Amino acid sequence: MKDALLQVRGLAKRFGGLTAVRDLDFDLDEGEILGLIGPNGAGKTTTFNLIAGSYGADGGEIRFAGESILGLAPHEIARHGVMRTFQHNRPFGGMRVLDNVLVGAHTRFRSSLWKVVAGIHHSEEMEQRRRAGQLIDFVGLGELRDADVGTLSFGQGRLLEIARALAGEPRLILFDEPAAGLTLAEAERIAGVIRDIAVRGIAVLLIEHDMRFLLPLAQRVVVLNFGARIAEGTPQQVRAHPAVVDAYLGDAAAL
Amino acid sequence: MQDFLELAVSAAASGCIYGLVALAYLLMIRPTGIINFAVGEWAMVGAFAAFLLLSRFEWPYPLGIAAVIAFMLLLGSATERVAVRPLLEAGAPLLAPILALLGMLVVFRETISVAFGPDPFPVPYPLGFGRLELGPLAGSYQSFFILAVTLAVFAGAWLFFERTVAGKCFEAVAINRRAAALMGINLSRVTTLSFAGGAGVAGLAGLLVSPNISAHFLMGVPLAIQGFTALVIGGVGRVEGALLGGLLVAFAEQLTVRYAPIPPGFAQGVPLLLLMIFLLARPTGLLRAKEARA
Amino acid sequence: MSSAARWLGAAVVLSGAAFFLGDYHNDVYRKLLLWVTLALSYNFLFGVCGQIAFSHFAFYGIGAYAVVILLFQVGLPLPLAVVLGVALCIVLALAVAIPSTRLEGFYLALATLALAQLFIVVLNEGGALTGGTGGIASYSLPDVFGMRITGPRYTAVIVLLLLGTLGVLWRLDRSWFGRACRAVRDNPEAAAAMGVNVARTKVIVFTLTSALAGVAGMVYAFVDNTVNPPIFGLDNAFLLLFMVIVGGAGRHAGAVVGAVALYLLPFWLHPIVGHHHVLVFGVLVVAAILLQPRGLIGVYDWVRKS
Repeated sequence: MKDALLQVRGLAKRFGGLTAVRDLDFDLDEGEILGLIGPNGAGKTTTFNLIAGSYGADGGEIRFAGESILGLAPHEIARHGVMRTFQHNRPFGGMRVLDNVLVGAHTRFRSSLWKVVAGIHHSEEMEQRRRAGQLIDFVGLGELRDADVGTLSFGQGRLLEIARALAGEPRLILFDEPAAGLTLAEAERIAGVIRDIAVRGIAVLLIEHDMRFLLPLAQRVVVLNFGARIAEGTPQQVRAHPAVVDAYLGDAAAL
Repeated sequence: MQDFLELAVSAAASGCIYGLVALAYLLMIRPTGIINFAVGEWAMVGAFAAFLLLSRFEWPYPLGIAAVIAFMLLLGSATERVAVRPLLEAGAPLLAPILALLGMLVVFRETISVAFGPDPFPVPYPLGFGRLELGPLAGSYQSFFILAVTLAVFAGAWLFFERTVAGKCFEAVAINRRAAALMGINLSRVTTLSFAGGAGVAGLAGLLVSPNISAHFLMGVPLAIQGFTALVIGGVGRVEGALLGGLLVAFAEQLTVRYAPIPPGFAQGVPLLLLMIFLLARPTGLLRAKEARA
Repeated sequence: MSSAARWLGAAVVLSGAAFFLGDYHNDVYRKLLLWVTLALSYNFLFGVCGQIAFSHFAFYGIGAYAVVILLFQVGLPLPLAVVLGVALCIVLALAVAIPSTRLEGFYLALATLALAQLFIVVLNEGGALTGGTGGIASYSLPDVFGMRITGPRYTAVIVLLLLGTLGVLWRLDRSWFGRACRAVRDNPEAAAAMGVNVARTKVIVFTLTSALAGVAGMVYAFVDNTVNPPIFGLDNAFLLLFMVIVGGAGRHAGAVVGAVALYLLPFWLHPIVGHHHVLVFGVLVVAAILLQPRGLIGVYDWVRKS
């Protein structure tokens, strides 16, 4: 059996006396949508940040496409083909939508600074702009290509986050609570975009609180509590799992 | 040895001035994150206010010093109202008030220059020109006066942060602005107070140093740099750090001038070199901030 | 008209102007061109990449003094003096930038503030090497290819410097690199997540713009044929910052407008405020930040839209 695209083994992280993540294992394949859920403080965000390179781990291993990415800086992780979105939208405020997306494509630009100064890179720039335009259309922001990002609504800003992450031609995208702060209609649109992304063969890892958003979307779910994995399976399996029900304090409505 | 002890007193007095300027920065940086380069000019304004009230109008010293401090407190709040509050409320990045304050630096300096002209103006010594001998230590009355006042100010600052509720509010805002606001702490009042306090302390520093060097419209920038060096060395986390940093800078400066075989002009370079070394090698300063109590 | 023709046209017009202006106006014009050049490179560092630094004018001075000292005190030929001068600026810039950019906040600003002051101290105390507080004077540019380049002809050199600087910065600005710089300015964490090496970008921008300032300094050295410490002090560093803010940070046009406005303003304000035009600048800067952070260019755009 081929190795999974993303392999997490024995991941651990401590903050002072608090163990945020302990001995975590899971895999993720191309084109799969994996949901990482758990109550507040379960360690989802910490795990996310460990994979994204925001801080280093205290133990374990994270392998992406066969290579270890544990402890790499965020920009190096992006270079490997892992892109992410932010829960509280972080657009580049001084630029247009198109330019924001082009920053996402940063790792795809090949021309050196010397070529830039000499002026011989323009065809690459044109090509990248065309691709960025396509991505903007794909997420549904077509008419706002040249708009100032300050004029976007929250939901549109979220779509921009996604287009920007896609511009990096990732093999894995990490979504940080993509439905947070969105209306029902906006959330449905995002879910559609995420499905389209997975269909194109990109692996998707998302952490999410909102079960109504996540359960119909994810193909597999890993449930965390107190930093450890307490359940794994399809959304239906996980919903009925006693440990999971327990962790959410028997709040069946939340599930 | 006697020579060294005399130097020590004079260096300690200089160190106190730098420490006070560092404290002024600290009072503003901690709750807001804003580096107010204009503190040097505030010190200069304090010195000119001292000249006006004490030399020109010949007010009695205690009244004069109180009036200068009161004026500086007002000036600090006014500066905050004009150059800082509108920006913070509009959600501008921190860079904006810092640059606005840089603009104010120039405004303060040029206003004084227009009002008083380019010459130095004398400020009287509160205790006269005499020398005092306390055991093995000897120095001018002014030096000991500076030491006493500075210690009192730092003791007050320390008590404020450690023992009063208002001080704890400052700490809370310094640690996490949003959380502090959620807990009901009035952010804009803390900001105004911090600027008022910063101006008061800076003005006091100007008043204390001016009998020795006279009030002069260019005295601000060197003080601002020396004060900032003291802050970086001592560390932004603790009030005591400002004083420690100030003393270190002053001693390094004066010991270099007195004992090192280099031209005295280079002594000006000592604080600058120290600043660069610390910024590049140990930016958090010598004293660590207190660990958060879990 | 093709882009190359436009640049050539600009070069001809800007240089040609020198032949029509009298001596006095020529002097103002040349200094103005130099200020515009400095404002352009400073704008890239501060406006496009978001790095506050006070060392830009110090590097201008380092370039100027370096070329004069290497030419006349050490006796090197002109090309070698220029190359070594640029190398010196690059090495110093790297020495300051590499440690500072690891850190958050305004450490670069403070380190460069200290560097700027330290440079003046070194100049003042440099004895025979730097000419001390009086500086070095009464030298002149050696013949280049047998030609004596002075007066209006030297203006062409300055124009070349200006257009060259603008050309380099323009291309960088509209490339992936310029976007990466803006990303670093607007949101360094997101920039890193997109694959931008934030620290390296900051170092490159700082070193490049400081080297450009150094080259400008070398050109400046032969404008008045004198270099002395007060020229390169903090006051001018602040003025440069003010020019970029008032003109409109982040855009080349803003840097040009700001430099022209603040350089020429004192001449017109002189009858009213004498030497205290700096007060007006301070007020302008505060007003710009409070009211129109996009500067004069922002005002122009707003007027055009309405």
